Amino acid sequence: MKKPAAERTYVRKVQEGTRKYARDLMGENDRLRGLIAALESERVRLAERARSVEHILQELDLLRGAVSNLEREKLAVQVQLFAAREELESHRQERERLEQQVADVEKESRRFAEQYVHVEAQNTNLANLYVASYRLYGTLDRQEVLGAIQEIVVNLIGSEELGVYELEPEEATLRLVASVGIDPTAHDRVAVGAGRIGRVAATGEPDIGGGAEVAARAVETDLSACIPLKLDGRVIGAIALFRLLPQKNGFESVDRELFDLLGTHAATALYCTRLQERLEARTRA
Amino acid sequence: MANKKILLVDDSNTILMVEKMILASEPYRLVTAGNGAQAVETAAVERPDLILMDVVMPTMDGFAACRALRAREETRAIPVIMVTTRGEAGNVERGFESGCSEYITKPINGPELLAKIRNLLGD
Repeated sequence: MKKPAAERTYVRKVQEGTRKYARDLMGENDRLRGLIAALESERVRLAERARSVEHILQELDLLRGAVSNLEREKLAVQVQLFAAREELESHRQERERLEQQVADVEKESRRFAEQYVHVEAQNTNLANLYVASYRLYGTLDRQEVLGAIQEIVVNLIGSEELGVYELEPEEATLRLVASVGIDPTAHDRVAVGAGRIGRVAATGEPDIGGGAEVAARAVETDLSACIPLKLDGRVIGAIALFRLLPQKNGFESVDRELFDLLGTHAATALYCTRLQERLEARTRA
Repeated sequence: MANKKILLVDDSNTILMVEKMILASEPYRLVTAGNGAQAVETAAVERPDLILMDVVMPTMDGFAACRALRAREETRAIPVIMVTTRGEAGNVERGFESGCSEYITKPINGPELLAKIRNLLGD
């Protein structure tokens, strides 16, 4: 039995409607699946992001902690720096104090060295005076005394041109009794009061020049010095220094002391040799 | 350590006495000789650490003595200070040619002499 047409149309409509509904459901299902997948993907992304943010926050906390530590360390370093600066200043002051001490010690050392040299120079001067005195009184031999006078003048005063004169009262003249570096005949006799040597004998006053100038030859006008030999205030002779050694630039205080010593002690020594000669002559007679 | 020995050579007793007195303040042992020939013989026997020698002396002058000292093996290295009356260049040159190590001029300046001796002896 055939179904009626209206029923078939209706069935067909229902089938089509059902198919369409099924298709729509399928489409909706697909859409929802895609939506679910997208949501799942978004969820996963958000979860990852949340983990990332959490990680960043943890990092931030760590960084804050590190900054805090660094600030504490900075403070400690600043304290140390301040202490180091104070120590440096203390060391600088100590160094300045030590440098000043070194400078003071060096100054004192230089002063001692200068004093030492001064003492050595004085020792030399005293040695010269002692040796001169010792040599003059070491003998009663006339030639040895004259030799000692010459050695004193040559070696201790520094003249290689000199004459030793003795007074001959009866004739009022000075007679050359010993010489070094001069022509004895040219200087054999000097009248008392004549020339520089004669004036020294007449006045009893020494004639001491600068001594620095070097004359062309040994002449009396260019004498470096002439000193009287005096015994009991009386002139008994003279020592004339014609020229000083080239390296001798004038007289020093020790030279003047040697002149004083020679003026009295050489006179006494020469006088003693004369007495000795007379004594020996009397003994022989 | 033994004190260093210095040989003083001069024919003048005045200079020898002065040198001895200047050096008396220092810890040196001193020996003396009266001329160059005697100095050469004394130096060979005594072997001093330094010789202080005059130039003008009888028998053998300081220059000849210095040459003789330099010619002998046992005295060749001993430093010699020449004591010259004249400090002129020619005289000093002759001294150094003869082999002397240093020179000083008369009159002797104590501090100068001591400084040169200390320098040569390394004191």
